[in-house]
Amino acid sequence: MSVMTPIFAGLWDHYIFWSLIVGGFAFGWLYHHSFWFTSKDGEKPPNVDELKVGVFPKHYDDMRLEVAWTVLPFILIVWLTYYSWGPLDAMWTSADGGIHGYECEEGQFSNNTMDSSGIISSECYHVIEITGQQWFWSFDCLELGTSICDTGTETMEVYGSVPVLSLKKGETYLATMTSIDVTHAPWFQHLGTKEDSLPGQQTTLWLPIPDSMTEESMVLCAEYCGDAHSVMAAKLIAHN
Amino acid sequence: MSGGDHHPSAWGPHDWNHGAPHNSWSPFILSMGVAIFLFSLGAAYEWGEFQGWGNVPLVFVGLGVISFSLLIWWRQDMSFGMHGEVFEPKSTGAPFQNIDIRKVAMWMFLMSEMMVFTSLFSTYMRYRLGIPNCKTVFHSGEWVEGTAVTCFEPAGHLIASSWFHIAPGAINTFALIISSFTIVQALRYAKKKDIDEDVRRRKVTRYLGTTWFLAILFLTLKMIEWFLGFPLPEFLHEFNHGDSEIKSLYAEGYLINADSYEHKAFDTDYIEKHPEDYSIPEESALYMMMEAGTHPGGKMMANIQVSATTFYVTTGTHGAHVLGGIIGLTYMTLKAAKGGYTPDNAVSIEYFGLYWHFVDLVWVLVFPFFYLY
Amino acid sequence: MRSRTKGAIAALVVISAMLALPSAQSLPGGISGVQQSGCNCHGAVPSDSVVASLDGLPESYNYSETYDITISFQGGPSQEGNVNQGGFHLWASQGSLAVNDATAQLYNENEVGHTEAGNDQVSWTLTWTAPATDTNVDFILHVNSVNGNADGAGGGTSGDMWSKLTITLGGPVEVLEAADPFVVLGVLIIVSATLLAFTLVFVFYRKDPEAFDWDNFAPWLADWLTSTDHKKIGTLYFVAGLFFLGVGGIMAMIIRIQLSVPGNDFLTQEQYNQFFTLHGTTMIFLAAMPMINGFANWMIPLQLGAADLALPRINAMSFWLQPFAALLIFTGVFSGHGADTGWTGYAPYVVSEGAHYGTTMWAAGQIMLVASSTLTGINFLTTMAVMRAPGMGWMQMPLFSWSVLVANVMLFLSIPAFGVGLIQVYLDRVIGTAFYDIAAGGDPLLWSHLFWYFGHPEVYVVIVPSFGIISEVIATSSRRSVFGYRSMVYALAGIGVVAFIVYGHHMFTSGMSPTLRFVTMLTTMLVAVPTGIKIFNWLMTMHGGSLVYRTHTLWALGFLVTFTLGGISGMFFPSIAMDTHLHESYFVVAHFHYVLVGGTVFGFFAGIYYWWPKATGKMLSEKLGVLHFLTAFVSYNALFWPMHRLGVWGMTRRHHTYFVTTEEALGSLPMEAAGWNMFITVSGFIFFFSNFIMVFNMIVSSVRGEDAPDDPWGGWSFEWMTSSPPPNHTLYKLDDGSWGLPTLKDANEHIANEPGWLSSWFQRLMVEDEETGEASH
Repeated sequence: MSVMTPIFAGLWDHYIFWSLIVGGFAFGWLYHHSFWFTSKDGEKPPNVDELKVGVFPKHYDDMRLEVAWTVLPFILIVWLTYYSWGPLDAMWTSADGGIHGYECEEGQFSNNTMDSSGIISSECYHVIEITGQQWFWSFDCLELGTSICDTGTETMEVYGSVPVLSLKKGETYLATMTSIDVTHAPWFQHLGTKEDSLPGQQTTLWLPIPDSMTEESMVLCAEYCGDAHSVMAAKLIAHN
Repeated sequence: MSGGDHHPSAWGPHDWNHGAPHNSWSPFILSMGVAIFLFSLGAAYEWGEFQGWGNVPLVFVGLGVISFSLLIWWRQDMSFGMHGEVFEPKSTGAPFQNIDIRKVAMWMFLMSEMMVFTSLFSTYMRYRLGIPNCKTVFHSGEWVEGTAVTCFEPAGHLIASSWFHIAPGAINTFALIISSFTIVQALRYAKKKDIDEDVRRRKVTRYLGTTWFLAILFLTLKMIEWFLGFPLPEFLHEFNHGDSEIKSLYAEGYLINADSYEHKAFDTDYIEKHPEDYSIPEESALYMMMEAGTHPGGKMMANIQVSATTFYVTTGTHGAHVLGGIIGLTYMTLKAAKGGYTPDNAVSIEYFGLYWHFVDLVWVLVFPFFYLY
Repeated sequence: MRSRTKGAIAALVVISAMLALPSAQSLPGGISGVQQSGCNCHGAVPSDSVVASLDGLPESYNYSETYDITISFQGGPSQEGNVNQGGFHLWASQGSLAVNDATAQLYNENEVGHTEAGNDQVSWTLTWTAPATDTNVDFILHVNSVNGNADGAGGGTSGDMWSKLTITLGGPVEVLEAADPFVVLGVLIIVSATLLAFTLVFVFYRKDPEAFDWDNFAPWLADWLTSTDHKKIGTLYFVAGLFFLGVGGIMAMIIRIQLSVPGNDFLTQEQYNQFFTLHGTTMIFLAAMPMINGFANWMIPLQLGAADLALPRINAMSFWLQPFAALLIFTGVFSGHGADTGWTGYAPYVVSEGAHYGTTMWAAGQIMLVASSTLTGINFLTTMAVMRAPGMGWMQMPLFSWSVLVANVMLFLSIPAFGVGLIQVYLDRVIGTAFYDIAAGGDPLLWSHLFWYFGHPEVYVVIVPSFGIISEVIATSSRRSVFGYRSMVYALAGIGVVAFIVYGHHMFTSGMSPTLRFVTMLTTMLVAVPTGIKIFNWLMTMHGGSLVYRTHTLWALGFLVTFTLGGISGMFFPSIAMDTHLHESYFVVAHFHYVLVGGTVFGFFAGIYYWWPKATGKMLSEKLGVLHFLTAFVSYNALFWPMHRLGVWGMTRRHHTYFVTTEEALGSLPMEAAGWNMFITVSGFIFFFSNFIMVFNMIVSSVRGEDAPDDPWGGWSFEWMTSSPPPNHTLYKLDDGSWGLPTLKDANEHIANEPGWLSSWFQRLMVEDEETGEASH
């Protein structure tokens, strides 16, 4: 599971925990009842609900149980929503004084830090541009210095010629994105994040590069865009 | 399968004393016709370009097959209600007890149709509010003669510009409203118990026929409005800025492929010469830029494809529903002329009436939103 | 004689019309008379003595690679002192050309010619960059060899000779030539009609070998083509649905072959794109929905105690729209021009010229299916509102009927939005409207909203009837009535309502406002509450019961496992920080296959084993049924469970291939992903073939199955109160031994037909008509 970011891993582990509880409960119950309540043919089964063709059978219910398994899952869901709220806020924080502050001035650095749940916050962020088109990505560092942001191309053995985006660890970037033709979506795999790049509109995507970021990772297209969708790749390099 | 009591032909006519038909060729043939039509239309036109006359016969084959299937359907229905053969079951279950089953079905159908028009309206509102209005863009001065800007030009700008221009639309509105009245009258006379059969036949035929005529009038005026335009008599020219005719939308260039649309309202030279027709507000950026000499003025060219698209497709969908009504009315008028509507089966006029009121209601919403606003 | 001939002639006319008329389909590059037939360059005459050559092209090109090419020629008119010189014109149908110097000029990226300066030469050099996709590139070269008589008659061009050279170059993956869609469609019609004809003839023969002649066959066939009987239509839907389930499965197998190893070249990218598009569209619209309609058509009138549906001819219409729609949807798929937009058909790709020609017909076919579904919705809602037997109030309907009701309410309120979207796409592609034209201001998100407003209720439409089947099967198998009937109904209704407000969860990464996304997150999570209620109610139904294990019981219990797993995996998506990673990955593929196959299809299997005896009058073999269940259930889980992991690792959907990280090269997935993909492919094949056990079971049962009693399983609803199979005109065995329409009795204290508070309120809106006593409006 090398590709899970800390924020993802935290949520994942928590959800798996509750899935095991709920699943264990349901499957344990199913397993038990499947064996405990079998009958064999030929036995006269007790007709507790007066089943007879053409007769609507007796109601079989229990108000307390039904309320219980309405209320308890509801509480769990409220809890899970609350638990996911922080990370949600982080992924879509405002560009105007959110957890990444405001755009960096000349010479300012983000110096981002990660808290225990994997949420990254920064002093400021750098703006870059990503443009999608059939079938390649274009990165534009705008006016950032090459130590903060750099672009290039590289020939990879499997993908052929791919654009490269080189970003600095500890810095946070806000990518403003658009597309020239159809909808694309860059998936920064080791950042666990993606957003559509829409033609005729502008969308944004936070790219906070933590100190623990993998040095080389792939960016794949994650919104079907036609014939070469699978090989519309880019490489992200995180350097010190 | 030739006729016999218990197995009437799947081609029609049907003996309704036995209940609804067990077999009918109509569904199979109708589906085939629709498939042929959609297939061949997609070959006859691609990306707005006509692909040659070789594809056109198949389109007509499709339409022909559809018409043929409708004839079979009607052939089975024609005897319904005549000679005492009635089969109009009523609901047993709450909450529709004692209401005709087919009436419940018609209401359900209208609910789904409501969703269709809601989607069309949503599309229109999304674009109308999301794309800047052409007049606003014009007044902002952010354009240059010879380069097209994308903006929204509501059809109302052209159509509601004069009483003459809006006349077809207004007459259409009244035509539909009156036709809703005539269809109710047809129903009333069909249901009346204490009148002479011959009187009933004539009244019902006349009212259905009038409804049919009003619907035809609606579509004719729409075609005039869209494509033909109409000339004005001499004495009215001066009320029309000296123009001898009301131009159709087509003639004004309001088309779905209009990516370089021009109009006198967006032509600074025309505005200067005819200040009584149009003016540029003094607070607007364009006025100030022209005064300052930073804007050369001229004709603004616009890409209004989305405006024309939403207009024609929405009003066209409504028109298609009117056409469907006309087809139904044709059948009903013919049946009425044969004395086919009696109090026993008059309720089938009511089913159509429900549909027709719905079509009328949609128009009452379309007209202000697309023509006046 | 008359009607048969009429029908035959009509069919022949139509089919020959479709095949005979010429098509004029413009090719992407445009047919240019000059390219194909050649020109008389500047008045020259064609001659074999001029030999053109084009050097520098490889055997097959690599994606996006640039090649230096040299154009040259030899020969021409011999004239003293004249070295053969002249000019050239080159077209390349794909990729892009570029010039090196002033001796050549670029007309556009596909067309190059000589300039004035390069007018009298024998060779020129250019560059050509290969395309990024797999395609066949056509090079057409014309060279003109002059005779040098610049001052002569004919303006200096007479006596020149020209020649032509064509080269076709392929890419890394070989691509077959595309065929004309009209021809392909015609072939498809003929082939499937032939196969169908053979099957029908065989079935007819088996019915009664003695009466095997045309005079008996034609009316039998015509009866099936024209019937408005709910049982026949149900059978038609079911057979069609099962057929397309197989077709969709074949497409899935081809997809899995392509994905079994990294970097595979079994399918080109373009072919793969068509396969996953058609797989999705086929499975949802041509397999799942028809099978639901098959069950519904058969069982709803029976369960309600009615004689047929409310609108029988409209019912037939709903069915017949489907096979014709299928023909349209599959247009182009065998010629390489099939729809390649994904079943979700996102704009603006769906209205771009890059999306294949078949996309237009795919939209047209689905428009027909929208009409079909709308009519179905109206029919079933009306039937359930008006034709319930006496004694059957709303709260005495069997749960399968309730599930079909809720499904149809969702369907017919949501599908018109999809229909409007499809019409917009069709019109954009055909007559050139601008709904999704970006340059004109079109908005891709408009399509997303229209589509998912329908798309989300649609997936509940396909699962809810399975819920109904499971309720019936578990209750009957346990010999108990369903636990919490009322809360089951409310849960269904709750799902039906909430379905409409959660569709935004398909658009979390589409750039919508964060507030809307939060609301969607909460409502999506809440859907788990009514669904959970249902699962717990099913488990509780078994409590205190006497479970009798039959094949349908096994499938119902299997459903409880797989659907619960699918539901749990679905809960991961609303947590946004996980969704940004999991969206469009194989985790999504795993989730929806767990709920669609593990939920919907397993529900269908349970329904098949449960209701087969009633519909056909024959029992299915239990042994084969258990074998089917065991092989299918195990291989199914082996097939889809590993996909969760692949998704988290970063495997993207709709990618025709993937690359793993090895020691030499960085890829996008860890090395283990390759092994798991192969494992999935093998499991897929086992799962695909295991379902033929069920088909075999059906055939054996039809031929020599044991006769089925009226009520083999001990169910209580009305379908068990008639014969197996029911008589031609649906009727029921009443208590006094006669046949007629039944009345429902109730083991609880309940006043028959008294409206509840909601119905009473609604009834007050109805106005009694004085004359006829009938309530109008």
